[in-house]
Amino acid sequence: MDTFAQLLVGGLLTGLVFALVAVGLTLVYGVMDVVNFAHGEFLMLSMYAALGLALIGIGPLLGLPLVAIALFLFGIVVYRVFIRRLLAGPSEATVFGTFGLLVLLQGAAQATLTSDFQSVPNPPLQGTIHLGPIALSQATLVEGIGALVLTASLFAFVEYTETGRAMRALAEDRVAATLMGIDVQRVNGLAFGIGAACVGAAGSLLMLSYPVYPTAGAPFALTAFVVVALGGFGSIQGALVGALLVGLLEVFGGFYLAPELKMVPVYVAYLAVVLLRPQGLLGRR
Amino acid sequence: MSSLLEVRGLAKRFGSVRALDGVDLDVAEGSLTGLIGPNGAGKSTAFACIAGAEKPSAGSVRFRGREIAGTAYHRVAALGIGRTYQLVQTFADMTVLEAVTTGALLRRARLRDAIAHAQEILAFVGLAEKRYRLGRALTVADKKRLEVARALATEPTLLLLDEVMAGLTPAECGAAVELLRRILARGVTVLMVEHVMEVLMPIAEHVVVIAAGKTIFSGTAAGAVRDAGVIEAYLGSPLEHGEIAGHAP
Amino acid sequence: MTARPHLYALGAIVVLGLLAAFGVRDAVVLDLVFTLLLYAVLGQSWNWISGYAGNISFGHAIFFGCGAYASALCVTHGLTPWLAIPAGALAAAALALVTGFPTLGLRGHYFSIATIAVAALVETFARTTPWLGKANGFELPIASGWAALQFPQKGPYVVLALALFAAVQLATIALERSRLGYYLRALRANHAAAASVGIDERRCKLIAFAWSATMASAAGVLYAQYTLFIDPPSTLALAISIDIALIGVVGGIGTLWGPAAGALVYVVLAKAVALRFGGAGKGYDLVIYGAIICLIAALRPYGIVGTIVDAIRRRRGSIAVGPGAAAETPA
Repeated sequence: MDTFAQLLVGGLLTGLVFALVAVGLTLVYGVMDVVNFAHGEFLMLSMYAALGLALIGIGPLLGLPLVAIALFLFGIVVYRVFIRRLLAGPSEATVFGTFGLLVLLQGAAQATLTSDFQSVPNPPLQGTIHLGPIALSQATLVEGIGALVLTASLFAFVEYTETGRAMRALAEDRVAATLMGIDVQRVNGLAFGIGAACVGAAGSLLMLSYPVYPTAGAPFALTAFVVVALGGFGSIQGALVGALLVGLLEVFGGFYLAPELKMVPVYVAYLAVVLLRPQGLLGRR
Repeated sequence: MSSLLEVRGLAKRFGSVRALDGVDLDVAEGSLTGLIGPNGAGKSTAFACIAGAEKPSAGSVRFRGREIAGTAYHRVAALGIGRTYQLVQTFADMTVLEAVTTGALLRRARLRDAIAHAQEILAFVGLAEKRYRLGRALTVADKKRLEVARALATEPTLLLLDEVMAGLTPAECGAAVELLRRILARGVTVLMVEHVMEVLMPIAEHVVVIAAGKTIFSGTAAGAVRDAGVIEAYLGSPLEHGEIAGHAP
Repeated sequence: MTARPHLYALGAIVVLGLLAAFGVRDAVVLDLVFTLLLYAVLGQSWNWISGYAGNISFGHAIFFGCGAYASALCVTHGLTPWLAIPAGALAAAALALVTGFPTLGLRGHYFSIATIAVAALVETFARTTPWLGKANGFELPIASGWAALQFPQKGPYVVLALALFAAVQLATIALERSRLGYYLRALRANHAAAASVGIDERRCKLIAFAWSATMASAAGVLYAQYTLFIDPPSTLALAISIDIALIGVVGGIGTLWGPAAGALVYVVLAKAVALRFGGAGKGYDLVIYGAIICLIAALRPYGIVGTIVDAIRRRRGSIAVGPGAAAETPA
C-alpha cells in the first residue's frame, strides 16, 4: 500500500514535469497547426542557458525569468526567419523542416558544448520531505508546483487577454480571423515565442534535478508529443491531464515492468488513443 | 415509384450547435431532385452526412434500400454515390485527365482502361481539349466541370451536386443546365443543392426545402414558391415570387 | 508521361555499375559505389511513404535494421542468409503495420510521432534482448559464395546492390503508373476529395508503407552481408534515420530520381565532412545535415529533382496554354 501511494505521488509529480514541457508545444500547435519537432532541443538550449547562469552565480530559480525571456526572443526569431517560410510550403515541409532544426541544434550543442553530462553545481532544494510514508524530493515538488503555475498562467493568458483571444480566434478559423483583421504573422510569432518561453521556464526548473547534455531534450520532447496527443492537440487543459496520465504510466510501468521498458506502456497508450479517439481525451475534432 | 435515396430524421450536432434537426427527403430513381433552403439551413451538412463525409448524430439514410448512415466516406463512393463540393476541391497538382482517371480507377483496375474511360467522360462534359492542364490552372466554371467529371468517372448511381451553378455567368449556367440534362439522360439520378431557385424550376421534378436544419416542404418547384412556410423561412415575411427566385441581395 | 526515358536512364546506370563491378579493382571506389546504391535504395524506400504518400517517417532505420538483424540471426543460427530476405521483410512489414494502422488515416504528425516512438522502442528492445545481441550486436561468421551471400571481393556486392537498386526503381516507375500511385497523389493533393472518389486513405498508405519497409529491409540484409558486423548504432539508431530522411528530402520528395540524387549528395557530403572534421560523432556532421534539411524545407521543399521537374513543367505549361498545344502523349 505504501509502495502504491509512493508510486502514485511520484507518478503525478513526474506528470507535472511532463506538463511543464508539453504546454508550450500544444499552444504552438493550437495556433498554427505546427508540431515543432525541435521542441526538445529548445528545452536542451534553455537547460544549458540555466546552467550557464548557475555557473556565474545565478541559480536556476533566480535565472528562470531571464531564460524565459531569452527563449521568448529566440522563438520569435526562429518563427520570423524559418517557421513562417515552412508554413508557405506543403504540409510535409513543416514536419521535416522542424526536424531539420532538431538535427541542427543537437549537432551544434555536440560540437560546441561536448557530449558530457553537466549539472548545476551545489543545486538548491536537495532535501526530502516526508509526508507519512511518502518521501518527496524538494526539487521535484518545486518543479511540480512550477508546472501548475505555468499551466494556469498560460490558460489565463489565452482565455482572458486580447492577444490570447486573437490566438484562439486563429485556432478556431484562420480565414475568419484574418477577415476580422487579426495580423496572423504577428500572433503566430508571439505564440511561437510564448511557447519557447514556456520551454525556457521548464528548462530552468528541470536543471534542479536533471543533468543536461546535447540530446537531453529528446526524451522529454517525445513524451511531450505523446502527452499532447493524449490530451488533444491544441488543448492546454488536455496537456495537463495527458501529462499526469503519462507520468503515472511511466512510473508504474518502470516499477512493474523493467526500468528500461518504462516507456512501453506510454507508447502503447499513444497508439491506442490515436486509434480509438484521435482527437485526444479533451480535444475537439 | 421506389426511392433510390430515403432520408429520415437526419440530425447532426457540432458540440451544442444543431446543424441538422430532422431532415427528411426522398429521391426517386432517374429523377432530378432539388434541395434548397436559405443560407445556413444545413444543405451542405445534409450532403456531407449523405455522402459519408460526416457521421450523422441520428436518423437514417437508405440508399437502394440499404442503410448507409455512418458508413465510411470512401465506401459510400464505392456503393455508387458521387459528389461535388460547394467550394471546389480539385487535385491541384494533377492534370485534368489524371484527376478524372483517378475517379475512373474506382471501377477499373487497369490504368489503360481508366484513362480510356476518363477520356470519354472528358469528351462528355466538354473538357477534352483541356485534359493536359493542371487542375489549379482552370477557370471556376471549368473546375466545377472537372469535379462533375471526376464524380461521373466513378460511375455513380446517384450524383450529389453542391451549388454547381454558383459563381457562373448566365452563359455558363446555360451550358451547365444542358450538361445536367445529358447526365440525366445517361440514367444517373441527381440530387442538387442550389441557392437560386430560378435555375431549378425548369429542370427539377421535385424540390425539398430545408430551413434551420429541418425539412419544411417537399413537392413541386411551383408549389414551393407558393408555400407560405417556405416564403417565410427564406425572407422572414411574405414577398413576391420573383424575389425568392432571384439572387440573394 | 511515358516511362521510356526513365528506363533508358536506369539501363545506363546498370551498365555503368556493371562496368565498375567487373572493371574496377580499387576497393575504395567499389565501396563508394556500393554505399551510394544502398543509400539510394534506402532513400527510395523512405520516399514511398514520406514522398509519394506524404507521411514523414523519422524512424526508417528500424526497417533497415529488421533486414540486418534477420540476416545476422539466420547466419548465426546456421540458416541461409537468403531466408533473411523474406523474414526481414515480414518483420519490417509487421512493424509498419503496427505504426501505420492507428495513424495513417489521420493528419501527418500523428504518424511522424509514432515513427519516433516505435523506433525508440525497437532500439531499446534490441539493446536489452539477449537473443538480439544486446548492445554488442553480432559478428557474422565468415564464409564465401552465393549460397552464403558473402564474397571475398567487393564486385559481387556491387552487382547485388545494383540489382536491388534497379528493382526498386522499376517498382517505383510501376507505382507512378498504377492505381496506387494515382491514389497516393490524389490523397496528398486533397484527402477529402480523394475519399469522395472512393479512395481508402489508410489502406492505400498502409500498402505503400509495407512496401517501403520491405525495401529498407532488403537493403539491411545486403548491408549485414557486406559489413559482417551489426549493432544498434549502425543499424537502428536515430542517426541512421536522419541520414535516410536527409537523402529523401535533399533529392526531392515524391520524385522518381530524387533519392538517387540525394544519395549522391549525401555520400559526397559525408566524405567531405569526414575529411574536414575527422569522422562523425562530434556534431559537425549533424550541423551540416540539419542546416541542409532546414534550407530545403524553407526554400525548395521539393528538393533537387522537384525543382528541376517544376522548371520543366513551367516551361511546358507556358506553351500548353494555347488550345491543344500540350504534348499529345497519353500515359
